[in-house]
Amino acid sequence: MSRIGVFICHCGENIGATVDCEKVAAAAAKIPGVVHSVDYKYMCSDPGQNMIKEAIREKNLTGVVVGACSPRMHEPTFRRACEEAGLNPFLCEMANIREHCSWVHEKGDPTTEKAIDLVRVIVEKVRRNKPLVPIKVPVTKTALVLGGGIAGIQAALDIANAGHKVIMVERSPSIGGHMSQLSETFPTLDCSQCILTPRMVEVARHANITLHTYSEIESIEGFIGNFKVKIRKKARSIDMKACTGCGLCSQKCPTRKIPSEFDAGLGTRPAIYVPFPQAVPNKPVIDRLNCTYYLKGKCRLCEKVCPTQAIRFDQEDEIVEADIGAVVLATGFEIKHGDFFPEYGFGKFKDVIDGMQFERLASASGPTLGEIRRPSDGKKPETVVFIACAGSRDPAKGIEYCSKICCMYTAKHAMLYRHKVHGGNAYIFYMDIRAGGKMYEEFVRRAIEEDGVKYVRGRVSRVYEREGKLIVQGADTLLGAQPVEIEADMVVLATAAVANDGAEELAQKMHVSYDAHKFFAEAHPKLKPVETNTAGIFLAGACQAPKDIPESVAQASGAASKVGALFSQDELTREPVIAVVNRSAPPLYSTCVGCFLCQAACPYQAIEREEIRTRDGKLIKTVAKVNPGLCQGCGTCVAVCRTKAIDLQGFSNEQVFAEVMALLDRSEPDAGI
Amino acid sequence: MDELRKKARALLEAGEVRVVIGYGGGTGDRARAIFVREPERADELIFDGRCRQNLAIYLTRREVKELGKPAIVATLPALKTVLQLAGEFQIAEGGLVVLAPGADGSLIEFKTFADIEKYLAGAASPIDPAEQAEMDRVRAMSPDERWKYWLGQISRCIKCYACRQACPMCYCPRCTVECNQPQWIPVPSHELGNLEWNVMRAMHLAGRCVDCGDCSRACPVGIPLYLLNRVLIGDIESNFHQRAGMKAEVDYALSTFHPDDRENFIR
Repeated sequence: MSRIGVFICHCGENIGATVDCEKVAAAAAKIPGVVHSVDYKYMCSDPGQNMIKEAIREKNLTGVVVGACSPRMHEPTFRRACEEAGLNPFLCEMANIREHCSWVHEKGDPTTEKAIDLVRVIVEKVRRNKPLVPIKVPVTKTALVLGGGIAGIQAALDIANAGHKVIMVERSPSIGGHMSQLSETFPTLDCSQCILTPRMVEVARHANITLHTYSEIESIEGFIGNFKVKIRKKARSIDMKACTGCGLCSQKCPTRKIPSEFDAGLGTRPAIYVPFPQAVPNKPVIDRLNCTYYLKGKCRLCEKVCPTQAIRFDQEDEIVEADIGAVVLATGFEIKHGDFFPEYGFGKFKDVIDGMQFERLASASGPTLGEIRRPSDGKKPETVVFIACAGSRDPAKGIEYCSKICCMYTAKHAMLYRHKVHGGNAYIFYMDIRAGGKMYEEFVRRAIEEDGVKYVRGRVSRVYEREGKLIVQGADTLLGAQPVEIEADMVVLATAAVANDGAEELAQKMHVSYDAHKFFAEAHPKLKPVETNTAGIFLAGACQAPKDIPESVAQASGAASKVGALFSQDELTREPVIAVVNRSAPPLYSTCVGCFLCQAACPYQAIEREEIRTRDGKLIKTVAKVNPGLCQGCGTCVAVCRTKAIDLQGFSNEQVFAEVMALLDRSEPDAGI
Repeated sequence: MDELRKKARALLEAGEVRVVIGYGGGTGDRARAIFVREPERADELIFDGRCRQNLAIYLTRREVKELGKPAIVATLPALKTVLQLAGEFQIAEGGLVVLAPGADGSLIEFKTFADIEKYLAGAASPIDPAEQAEMDRVRAMSPDERWKYWLGQISRCIKCYACRQACPMCYCPRCTVECNQPQWIPVPSHELGNLEWNVMRAMHLAGRCVDCGDCSRACPVGIPLYLLNRVLIGDIESNFHQRAGMKAEVDYALSTFHPDDRENFIR
């Protein structure tokens, strides 16, 4: 016979004002098997917890029900109290009479009756609770950082400096990401590469970091602390050990007209190339889609000129396997390109460019060596119009969100333009100026007041060409929506920041959730901003949402500290609320029939196969097995199993059934368990 | 028939199989399942219009499994059952010989599941006109009428579980009705319990039923169980483009999610 203690909390006025707690405690005392039932003002306080501990010791309780707030609030508190009094913590449950009752109903008898029902249901559950023991899983202290932009670099360095191994995977030939393409950075206008490249070099040289560039994730399996990853190292067609990075091959390559990704299409590069002078690793890669040898079978000029015979035309992709304990996703973002803006003539007029192209024009390492010259004829533009929110905050275009970085970089662009082209006119069409950040508002004021950038509040409806000029048609909403027409030499669109292409496939591969815009989803928008819903996988930078450099770096360090905390222990402790496949007496051995329909249902790939054998090794049957490290206790497999061979510890079919029956039949006394 | 007997005898003589599961003459004019284990008994095998039972049901029976590797005389639904059972890991490639006699006395021996898949992709599954008429009639009812219709049908159920025993996909050694901790399905044969049992069985067969019709034929009180199964088959086919028993790999409609699924809400 159970000996259950019921403890009803008033939660100050929170419960006490609407629910008659004394009456609830009195009613609970009458439930068969309840040997102790009290109410108290604050059960979570020290005296409240002591009441529970004393009752456990004095009355020899076999189960505890605390009628109070949501278990998400104080379940750990009360379970710890029970454990301290010598009761298995999983024999303690909470009846939520606050969020599910007092907060959502008026004061009155029906409210109190509902509270009694909620307590009664949990008493029936606790009666069937079994002592559970937390699960221990080992931790592999190596982190995988996916993406070599500023977020990935920061995360990798922080984890490596904490003394853990890091494997960094970057899909392009060099690390550095978008930040390496930027000219100068707001709000201080320091050179982007000058502050980034030392960190890139540090990544390459760090004893704890293994760098795989030009590589992608092939597959990932496993669970927190115990992932197995396969990395596809794409064929670079270069022997990385033999190559000295002298650059002769790039100089001699006859295919030179390929649009440079690094210069956002404004410059060109050869087929064998190093993306940019400070690339890490500073060794070339052959672009097989454009190389004459791969296209036509002839050329091999680079092979002839290479002083160290480092060219490997027959190199194949290589798969590297690794055991890792945690993942930081830092795969970044992309800006919207192409025919998304037909009204602005993007792609049609050469002098309508996007923000990244302007960065390259303004960059000393760019195609114009830092001079602002427009792409069509190389002339210095006398009037430049910057259009903010090109695509962003535009439900009609399907992007409702604010891209966050554009207000600041547009102010920076206009400022840089004014610094480089004295006497030039800079106009910015904007919806609102969002400059929330340290020194951000001051930066925008500086653009307006010191650098004479003309801000026009309104939207641009159309950009078209007339007599060699780009005519920008818009409205000035601060002047009563008066039409504005500006003759410009160049137009710069602050296009929306969007998820990287392939983000959806990657999210599915990694089993992390993502939002409608394919940005990876954090576990909680406020309290778990770097965690994903998959334990052991963390987020850093703009793969989660558009972010500027300081924010990306801060989040990367946050993710790194989470990884550090995970790696600080040799074993992980996990709640034992997991599914278990049953065992029964021969000849069944288990009611599992081994149909494995549960395998597809499991969102966490936690279901494996297990062979039941006799003592001399003869196979009796193959049944499902739940991997306790992977299982999150969602119960989907329990619902799918026809033979009820799977049950969820702590939420067993029997317990839930008893709860439902208790609710359905209010009159029936307990059936004598 | 001669082809079938010859093949069965040859298989048994060569020791390639230990038992041939086929049809033989039963009481009166009935055909019944027979288990031929000696080559000389191969002539007892028959195949004609009376042979409708889905013999694949015996493939998962422990008593039959213990006899050794079987050959099975398969009708069209039995072929589908073989594939579905393979998809649910109950039988393995090479673990049985599948013999499909035609009405004209010809015989096809399937070596692989892939061959069965190929054959089924081109085979039509005719539906009995009387059953189709009943289906149309019930479909045309209003929800209220249909509810009354089913309560009427199901109130006649005596919970003998003949439908389960006849069903080749009900191969679980312990059925949910036999689970009494908790007692999901009430034991007595009252209206609620009957309803729960029949709805549960229909749901357990959703996406798995190969539509052999043996449950309806087995029902001693004549409940048209095929209606339940066929509506589910139709829904799953129109919504998820899947039909049980067409492939040896199961893409279970109730538990599989594909990245290109139309239903975005699951993401």
